[in-house]
Amino acid sequence: MPIAEQGYVHWEGRLDVRRRPWRPIVRLGIRLAFRRKAFKFVLGMAFLPTLVFAAGVYISERLDDFKEMIRGADRFLKVDPEFFKAFYASDYLLFWMLIIMVLAGAGLIADDLRHKALQLYFARPLRRRDYLQGKALTLCFFLLLLTLLPGFLFIVLKVIFSGSFKILAEYPWLPLSVAAWSLVAAGFFSFYTLALSSLSRNRRYASILLIAVYFLSDIFFGIFYGIFRDPAFTLLSVKSNLQQVAAALLGAKPFFEVPWEYSAAVLAVLAVLAGVVLSRKVRGSEVIK
Amino acid sequence: MSLVFKAEKLGKWYGNVLGLSDVTIEIGPGITGLLGPNGAGKSTFMKLLTGQLRPSIGSITADGQPVWNNTSLFRRVGFCPEQDAFFEDTTGREFLAGLLALSGMGEKEVEERAGRALAFVELLDAQDRLIRGYSRGMRQRLKIAQAIAHEPEVLILDEPLNGLDPLSKRKVIRLIKDYRTEGRTVVVSSHVLPEIEALTRTIVLIHQGKILAQGDIPYIRDLIDAHPHVVAVRLDEPRRLGALLVRDPSVQSVAYGPEEGLVTFETRQRDRFFGLLPKAVAESGLDLREITSPDDNLQAVFDYLVGK
Repeated sequence: MPIAEQGYVHWEGRLDVRRRPWRPIVRLGIRLAFRRKAFKFVLGMAFLPTLVFAAGVYISERLDDFKEMIRGADRFLKVDPEFFKAFYASDYLLFWMLIIMVLAGAGLIADDLRHKALQLYFARPLRRRDYLQGKALTLCFFLLLLTLLPGFLFIVLKVIFSGSFKILAEYPWLPLSVAAWSLVAAGFFSFYTLALSSLSRNRRYASILLIAVYFLSDIFFGIFYGIFRDPAFTLLSVKSNLQQVAAALLGAKPFFEVPWEYSAAVLAVLAVLAGVVLSRKVRGSEVIK
Repeated sequence: MSLVFKAEKLGKWYGNVLGLSDVTIEIGPGITGLLGPNGAGKSTFMKLLTGQLRPSIGSITADGQPVWNNTSLFRRVGFCPEQDAFFEDTTGREFLAGLLALSGMGEKEVEERAGRALAFVELLDAQDRLIRGYSRGMRQRLKIAQAIAHEPEVLILDEPLNGLDPLSKRKVIRLIKDYRTEGRTVVVSSHVLPEIEALTRTIVLIHQGKILAQGDIPYIRDLIDAHPHVVAVRLDEPRRLGALLVRDPSVQSVAYGPEEGLVTFETRQRDRFFGLLPKAVAESGLDLREITSPDDNLQAVFDYLVGK
């Protein structure tokens, strides 16, 4: 074939060889989430338990001053693994974490699929792994903000208000437990959210899926448990499995009489399934069938 | 030196559907036009060129390196997809900046290049507006901006003129030509011959996943001229016009009807015929109402080339 025009160009641009190609995706995801008013409101609501428990840490060191107010409730104000379990496994916190995922995560892949933006990502020096890492880390940022940050804050506050390191001496593994649970929760919710987001091109449907799977699994658990009185049905509920694992990792008493390892296995299987869904759904080009 | 793409016996199937078959071609610097009707395999070829699809058979290389999954190569390629592909909730500048960051540039360089690309496509005024409020022409120009913002050596544009009004088309054609003058490789696809003609003289004709012909414009024009064109003219006295033109060597046949006032000419020398027709009408004072060319489209040429 004749070449009509020949030319040469000397490349003078400076391009970094980057170790974290997912960084721009995380930055964009966080920026877009904060642009929504509803998201800011929900994030504020999700921090309410942190404020309440931080106040609890303060009161736990001033029981005499608040004697009248807390009458009989002082056992809840002992800052120990049960205190952390009450925080991390509370229905309230888990609910707001889910809503955060709906607002910040439902559209993460669904919007890219709808706008056919995947081909733009993959026409750049970006692998599928980098893309998914970027999306998952966007969610992890918010989830760790709600889990890891408050956990360490409670420990630090306890040390400050008590003026001693007694809590760390009694439970030296507590910071590690807090970190481990925070990572498990962030990892699971990220996989869960991204997989369901990749199943639809519409962020609303993805949002409905996120909420439906979470609550329906709990409703089924409630129905079967009500009929058969068998705690093994705990394994049907996403929420209960998370609560079981949280209690176990924090060294507290589990909620149900089911080995926590089973719950961990259920969560792991769900995460693997989510990984399979993501690997099938996130492709650079549409595949005609 | 700009990249040279080589495809050898390249083929791509989507399950049982043939996307591309037995394509052997070399694409170097300058503008190369991929011309073919919708569904011919142009977009498949472009996605193979940009490493987004893995060849089912054969190979495609850029300077000897396989293209598929070669992310380091993607830094040197700019791709403008056919469909709209945007993050609609971002502004034009944010969109460009995000994609530039993905190409591996530092913050300062991202800002600088985003500004330069927006100025190049004349979108500086609209840079801080959300993309969802952009017009069709602005979106097309933004797509081109994202493809050129990192100053790639190779620019691959899939139907960049699709759906644009004439003014926007002219703008985009000028942009692409300006880019070419810097000695880079540009591959551009279209299903409209005049659009490709406006951009380049080097054309690859692609049809049903196969390369039918490749060469420069005169060669393609000759192929087209070898195919008899049908020109239908509607006027009050069709027989008078037929009598005036039937003797000219460019006219192969003349037919009247089926509707009243309609005469249909068949010609193998379209340019000569279209020079002759207005002259004959003007000189004889005929009252011309309509001229149409029912088969003057690319599909007709392809049908002719594949012997339909």
